Amino acid sequence: MRALPLLAPVHVLILGVIVLPAFYVVWLSLNASSFGRAPVFVGLQNYIQVLTDPAFRAALLNTVLLVVLAVHAEMAIGLGMALLFASGLPFRRFLLVTVLAPYAVSEVTAVVMWRFLFDPDAGPVTLALRALHLPTLDWSFTPSHALTLIGLLTIWLHLPFTFIIIYAARLAIPGELHEAARVDGASRWQIFRRVTLPLLAPAILIALLFRYIFAFRLFSEAWLLTGGGPARSTEVVAIYLYQEAFTFNAFGPAAATAWIMVAVSLLLAAGYVYLLRRQVAADAR
Amino acid sequence: MRAERIAIPLGKALAVAAILLWSLFPIAFIALSSLKPGQEIFAVPPKYVFTPTLSHYVELWRGWRGFFAGLLNSVIVTAGATLLAVAASTCAGYVYARHGGRLLNASVAGLIVVRLIPPIVVTLPLFPIVNALRLNDTHAVLIILYAAFFVSLGTVLMRTFIQQIPRELDEAAAIDGASRLTTLWRIIVPLALPGVLAVSVFVIVYSWNEFLFAFIFTATRAKTAPLVMSEMIGSIDGVDWGILFAAATVQLAPVLLFVLFMNRYLVAGLTAGSTKG
Repeated sequence: MRALPLLAPVHVLILGVIVLPAFYVVWLSLNASSFGRAPVFVGLQNYIQVLTDPAFRAALLNTVLLVVLAVHAEMAIGLGMALLFASGLPFRRFLLVTVLAPYAVSEVTAVVMWRFLFDPDAGPVTLALRALHLPTLDWSFTPSHALTLIGLLTIWLHLPFTFIIIYAARLAIPGELHEAARVDGASRWQIFRRVTLPLLAPAILIALLFRYIFAFRLFSEAWLLTGGGPARSTEVVAIYLYQEAFTFNAFGPAAATAWIMVAVSLLLAAGYVYLLRRQVAADAR
Repeated sequence: MRAERIAIPLGKALAVAAILLWSLFPIAFIALSSLKPGQEIFAVPPKYVFTPTLSHYVELWRGWRGFFAGLLNSVIVTAGATLLAVAASTCAGYVYARHGGRLLNASVAGLIVVRLIPPIVVTLPLFPIVNALRLNDTHAVLIILYAAFFVSLGTVLMRTFIQQIPRELDEAAAIDGASRLTTLWRIIVPLALPGVLAVSVFVIVYSWNEFLFAFIFTATRAKTAPLVMSEMIGSIDGVDWGILFAAATVQLAPVLLFVLFMNRYLVAGLTAGSTKG
């Protein structure tokens, strides 16, 4: 108990800023309230309103599409890069540091970069695509193109994380296993499929769950690139929440959206913690 | 066999070139473009050879003094959040590393889960509270928010790093009459320095770059650099991209150099932070 003063700052911060407010959101979500009006208990009315709102459904669909497509593409690239690095590269440390660079870039700066790269008139990527007679991204008018750009941006910002997790797991595989497989006459593909991939599976799952959770809360990239427009077509769940709360002052529906976000995140988090525990138990054996 | 001997190195070289292009081109392009004179930013095809000029930086200084005030706010908020988060995480991580028990172990899982709650969720209940406490548009509110969202990861990381320090050192210090705090400060912190640095890298990068909380909780006095930049994006018409590139370069350069310099601690922190629990 003498340790309590050392534990207090962390727990006061977490309880005061995250846990208690998150529970308060539950109460808010069961009431109708706005600025200067006393809250009225309405039960699950806010949840029904949000879940039947076409704008929420569109935002949810956009978010799920982004999470599924961007996170899996990111994993495929990260896995490929980890295997490439592990196969032996010259200047490996330099290349590793290069790959980490986007980790330092803020969402705002990344939006500045990618907006200009894909500028319809002068963007170097647009010009290159046009020169190769490939389709360009008309992201300020076509919602699907805007979402593609948001997805690319998100992959660019978070690839360092995914790559590092997979690469660290790949380095932890003892070389003798590959050696033995080669001696037994396994082909490259068989070694990857039967030795490398199964051993990487726990790290891949952990990284995927982690990225699902973080991609699900995506806000800044989309907000700064399109503001959710044109006509709310590129909204994601976090932008929907922001609009309900701070543009329409509809705290009840906003709180319901917030709690839906918490519930989805906690569900994914439960899977994540379960995998971690199993991993720790396996390491201890 | 012979074809393979050529094809594999060639494929690797192409893959490495693609990785370099992907990671560095966006950064290099805006940094270079910020030095292009006037309209050359819009040259078709893009110019890669030009006479560098600082004119966009001068325009930024003249026209957007608020950006530099934002940078100063970013420095204050980042320093405050880092100090608070590192100090709190080290203290708690020490207790978690040295004491077991069902309650403590269960609360580690709690720490991991808390970290996964989306920050935007707490803006809703905190907004009126922050207003009532007159904390809106202050450095303090951002420092507390940024620290709160990183002490969970920080504690788990510090626990992992401190667990590797032999307990006997604590016991020897205790026999010599050192208090718990003295042991922590004189023995544990120096030996767990890589952990302290890993936590610092996370908090510094996050606080320096964060947008959402700054967007919701600050308005004029405590505006951080990313928020000022977002206003520049909104108000800039086609011609002023150069100023925006200059601002982006200034905002990015220190944190990029820091991350590259500290890459070892970042890698250690990323791997320990997501695969240990």
